[in-house]
Order: sequence, then C-alpha cells, then structure tokens
Amino acid sequence: MTTYFIRRILLMIPTFLGSTILIFVILQMAPGGPLERTIQQLQAGAMQQGESVGSVGDIMSGGSSVLPESAMRELRRFYGFDKPVYQRYLIWLGVWPREIKHREVEFSGDTKEVSKNVGRGTYMTLRLDGEQVGVYDKDGLTSDIWKGSIDQEASDDDKVVATIFQTEFSGILTGNLGTSYTYDQPVTEVMAPRFKISMFFGLTGLFLSYIVCIPLGIRKALNHGSAFDFLSSVVVFAAYSIPGYALGMVLLVLLGGGSFWDIFPLGGFRSPTEVWETLTLWGKIKDQVWHMVLPIIAWSISSFAGLTILMKNSLLENISQDYIRTAFAKGLQEKRVIWVHAIRNSIIPIASGIGGVIGVVIAGSYLIEKVFNIDGFGKMGFQAILDRDYPITLGFLVIVVVIRLVSNILSDIALATVDPRIRFK
Amino acid sequence: MSEQQEISLSILKKRWLKFKTLKRGYYSFVLLAILYVLSWFLPLLVNNRALVLSYEGEMYFPVISGYYAGSEFEQDVPGEAIYRELQAAWESEGSDNWIIMPVYPYSPYEDITVAGNKMYDPPSNTHWLGTDNTGRDVFARLCYAFNISISFALVLTVLNYFIGVLIGGSMGYFGGKFDLFFQRIIEIWSSLPMLFVIIIISSIIRPSFFLLIFIYTIVNWIGMTYLMRAEFYREKSKDYVAAALSMGQTNFKVMFKHILPNAMVPIITFFPFAVVGGISALVSLDYLGFGMPPPTPSWGQMLDVGLQNITKAWMVFAPISALFSTLIMVVFIGEAVREAFDPKVYSRLR
Repeated sequence: MTTYFIRRILLMIPTFLGSTILIFVILQMAPGGPLERTIQQLQAGAMQQGESVGSVGDIMSGGSSVLPESAMRELRRFYGFDKPVYQRYLIWLGVWPREIKHREVEFSGDTKEVSKNVGRGTYMTLRLDGEQVGVYDKDGLTSDIWKGSIDQEASDDDKVVATIFQTEFSGILTGNLGTSYTYDQPVTEVMAPRFKISMFFGLTGLFLSYIVCIPLGIRKALNHGSAFDFLSSVVVFAAYSIPGYALGMVLLVLLGGGSFWDIFPLGGFRSPTEVWETLTLWGKIKDQVWHMVLPIIAWSISSFAGLTILMKNSLLENISQDYIRTAFAKGLQEKRVIWVHAIRNSIIPIASGIGGVIGVVIAGSYLIEKVFNIDGFGKMGFQAILDRDYPITLGFLVIVVVIRLVSNILSDIALATVDPRIRFK
Repeated sequence: MSEQQEISLSILKKRWLKFKTLKRGYYSFVLLAILYVLSWFLPLLVNNRALVLSYEGEMYFPVISGYYAGSEFEQDVPGEAIYRELQAAWESEGSDNWIIMPVYPYSPYEDITVAGNKMYDPPSNTHWLGTDNTGRDVFARLCYAFNISISFALVLTVLNYFIGVLIGGSMGYFGGKFDLFFQRIIEIWSSLPMLFVIIIISSIIRPSFFLLIFIYTIVNWIGMTYLMRAEFYREKSKDYVAAALSMGQTNFKVMFKHILPNAMVPIITFFPFAVVGGISALVSLDYLGFGMPPPTPSWGQMLDVGLQNITKAWMVFAPISALFSTLIMVVFIGEAVREAFDPKVYSRLR
C-alpha cells in the first residue's frame, strides 16, 4: 500500500514534466505572443506621433522602421525569445541558468577592450578574445559573477555586440514564477489574493452542496419511487441541464436589478474597498453574504445533481445487499440498520470524491467568476491568456496541474482510508 | 403466440420496446429528432428570402438561387431586395405579382443595415423573441443555433467514440507497453484544464466548425478511451474471445466483430450524456468568444450579448430557455436509454 502511493507520487514527476512541456510549447509556438504585441503597441504609439510605420510582418522579419535594433534585442531578451525553446523551458523550470541584469557592450572597429559600468560605481572590463568575451574585475581577475557572450546576430564586420550578465537558477522549482507582464508584479503576489477568493468560494460552495445533497440523496433513496422522489428528481434533472453560469445569468436578470427585482448586487466579491473598510464586523459579514448568495447558488448547482444522484444510488445499492437483510433478520430496528449499517457503507464513494473536488474548486469556476465579475483565480488565468501574459498563464496552469495531480492521489488515499476492503497494488 | 414472439425478439429490439415504454425519454427523443430534422430545412422555414415569387409573369426562387438585387423587382433599395416589403407593397397595390415568404420571414444575419430592423426591439408579433444589439432577430438566430449546437455535439461525440474505441480498445486488448504508454499520455492530458487549453489554441487560430471539433476532440478523447479500455480489458479474458482466437480469427476481427458488440452497452448509454457535454462545451466556448466565428448564430454568443444588456430580459432568457430545454430533453433520453439498456432493480427494504 505505502509502496503503491510512493510509486504514484514518483509517477507525478514525469506527468508534471510532460504536461508543463506541452503547455510551454503550445504557448511559445503561438503567434501573437507578448513580443509581437509589445511591438505592435509601440508601433501604434509611433503611428499616433505621425511617424511612418512598416507592417508587422516587416517588423518581424527584422526590417523595423520604428524600433532600433538594440531595442528589439532588448525586448527579445526581456521576453526570453533570444533562446531556443528547450533552453527557455529549462530556464523557466529553474534547472538552466537564467541570465539577469543584462548590459550591452559594443566593440567597434579594432577595440578589444571596453570598460562597463555595472552599477554602484563598479566597472567591469570586457576583453574580446577571438569568439569569446572575457569579463574581468578591477584587479584583472576573471569575474565569477559576471559572464559575457557575443550576440552573433547583431554583430557584423564593423562591430561586435556583446552582453554581460549574471546568472542564477530560478524557476518554478525554486518557487519563482516570474514577473507578470501586465500587473508588473511577481506572479505569486498577483495570484495569492485571487487564489484565496476562489478557494473561499469553492470551499463554501462545496460545504453547502454536501450538506444539501447528502440528506437529500438519503431521503430520495429511502423513499424511492414516492412523490417526493419524483418531484426532487425533476429538480435534479433541471439542475443537471443548466450550466452553473447560465443559471447565474438567470439569477442576475431576475434578482440582480436587471429587469425585475433589485435584491442582490450585480457582481463583485464584496463591496469596494472604500465601503468595505467603513463597515462594522457585522456589516462586513452581511455584505459578504449579500454578495455571495447568487454566485454560490450558481457554483453549487453543477455538483448538486451529481452528488445527490450518487448518494441516492449508492444507498439504494447498499440497501439491496444481503447484509442489510441479515441485519433486519436478526431483529435490528430499521433506524439502526439504515443509519449505522447502510449509510456508513454508502458514504464511501462520496468521501473518496473529496480529493477530486479540489481540482474543480480551482479550475471549474471561471465562467461563474466571469458572469459575476469576481476577481478570482480562474478569471485571472483567462485574462492572462487574452493578454498574452505568459508568466501568469504558465503559473496558473502549473498550479492547476499540481492541484489535480495531488487531488487524484488524495482521492485514492481517502478511498483507501474509509474503505479498508480496497487495496491498491 | 405472443410468448413465442417475445422469445424470438433480439436483445436490441427488447431494449427499444423498453425504451418506448419510458414516456418521458421516448417523447423527448421523438420531439428532438423531429426538431433536428426540421432544423436542416430552416432556410425554407426561417429566412428573409422569398420561397417563390412571381414577377411580371416570371417565377423566381430566391431561397434556392440566392441573391437578387432590389432593382430587379423595381424596389428602391440598395443591394438585395427586401422581400417582406415587396410582399406588403404588392398586396396593398393588388398587383398580379405575388410572393410566398417562409413561415418566419427573418434571417439570422440581417441586422440594422436592412431597413425596418431596430436594435433592442422587445418581443412582438413580428419579432417573436425581439431583436438583439445589432437588430438581428433573436428567434431566427435561436433556431439556426439549435442546428449548429446539435450537429456539433453529434459529430464531436461520434468522432470521440471512434478514437475512443480505436485507442481504448487497443489499450485494453493488447495491454503491455502500448497500454502503459497511452496511460501516461492520458494522465498528462487529464491533468490539464482542458477548457483553458482550448481557449489557448482558439486564441491562436480562429476556429471554424470542423476546426473547433478537431480541437475539441484532441483534448476530449480521453473519457471514452478510458471507458473502452476498461471494457475491452474485461471482455478480453472471457472464454468467447479465447474461442475465437483458437479458431484462428485475426486480432482485428476479434476486437471489432466479437468484443465490440459486447462493449456496446456503455457506448450507447453514455452517448446522450456525451451530447450534453458537447452542447454545453460549445455554448461556454461561444460565451467566452472562442467558439464559432461571428456572425454564426450561437447560444453562447447570445448569452454574452444578453448579459451585457441585462435590462433586456428576452435577450438572456431566450438562449437560456433554448439551451435548458434542449439539454433537459437529451438528459431525459439519456436516463431512459440507461434504464432500457442497463436496468438496476433495487429490492425494497424488507
């Protein structure tokens, strides 16, 4: 058993690498990436100033009339497009040295040695040595923090363009998800508050759907075929047939002050900060609940139907088992047979689903976040794709992948814990 | 006599008879089938081009032959003739020219550029479900979107099934390294948030109907594959497979002639739910703006516009009711199919 789970955890590694490679390659191959987008923006800016502008294709082939060559190199370096894909992936992962603090140096004519300010009054000496650049500090020793390389593309017969840079290992494995292009903040800082919001919604919705679905499922199973069973089945079917976000829209139109009643706010996680800060504790709670009612209903509806039916079928199946007949035969009370014998067994599939639900908590909610305009985790990921904000997109996907992998294992562990008959091998 | 008949009925026939007794599912099936067949003739039913018109002794068939300029019928409009107005004009003049319009004379594409159309027209006798933000008729768009949604889901499901049976069946049947390799791939695939991957891909290439199906299949084939793998894996160890193999049947024949018919039950019972998944997927992609290219009529796009104009309730309610009633009918069918193919008989408490 333990070996099984250890193997499962080890197998997570190739799966993780496989899925990140897949995501990374798809994103990097995509046209219209951040580099093109920035160039276009710069072009548009130039256009407004009345300068003549070449087409995008022209720019991409290097014939830029707006951006000087060095700026293009700067941009390419900033977005990491000066390296082949596999290196970019390894850098991003954190197992290949990342080049930081670039400084460009130009050797024109016959110059072989250039002194370059690297900040705080420190000068480094760069010496051209055939195809290589040596970096030396003021004592004439080879520097061990600064490295140099020649930019082959930019260099020609007259001049040699070189860069000096420091290297460090920093990537997702070291906890560095990069810096967001759009928010201009470290990705982890952008994510943290939004992750909390989504988590808050997810857990509340999860809790509510469990406390509604389990009793409902039990009641339906015990009264199988009754009028109550039939009527609640209608509700369950209806809930299954309407996507959560669509229900959210109906609720908004009906209760959100659209065309009918104005009871609940149109969206948002809670009142704006200015208002929120002035509220008392009780006021804050009320405000939070007031904002959350509609999204939570929309959120829970997706798991409502599945959970209820699962609970009902599981209990029905158990009730028809022989051990229940035996329990009745030995004269136990019906209450005891159901609540002690049957329920405990039929809760197993529900309990084991708990791990899998965590994944849904995170990734499944962004349609609802979009409808209710909640600044959550899913909406952030979606927006990042639109904005071509690769650090956030990648970080988002990585977190979702990890959560899914972990929750799969958690499900199995939960299943093995609640059901001692189950043995994985 | 009747007993003999019952014995001789094939299992499929029996299941069909059982399905027919489940009224909710059966009627949903009949209704949905009729609607879907009708939806292929929508250009004849819901369209702004006349079916037939007779102008100065000559017959025209604009629905079939396409574009006629307004000047051809002495109508003073730029571009295409507006047959509705032509009809009204000829009728009031009492001229010999006549025109037969489709039952619902609006097209899903004509917007405010066509004279007489208004933005945000509330539901009325002429526009049954009002018009949207560009003056397009909501009901017409709803109907065309129905056809597209169902077709999308059907093609998608069939394609997924094909891949699922092929790969999943081979995984279960051959096992070994092939199985292990695809298991890893499936694990990688299933760890990715698929809607996001589709969005990433669709934001790169502007999808058309079949491209969208292709993209969706790439990310969605694992469900059926896994189901089929389990099914083939179980069936493989049965005696009839060994018997077939010992008679010298090829692997191909064993897989598709012997095992597949025995693995039909999950394939069929899962089908309606896969269709539900397909329809909802298309709606959510369209809602996010990564589905069919505009101006293709689609429920998702209508939801998006509706939510932006929340004070105009018909624009939200129309697509949601259409989506909801379609899905619930498919769910009813699914439930009945499951009941017919895989009945669970629960004993009472005592």
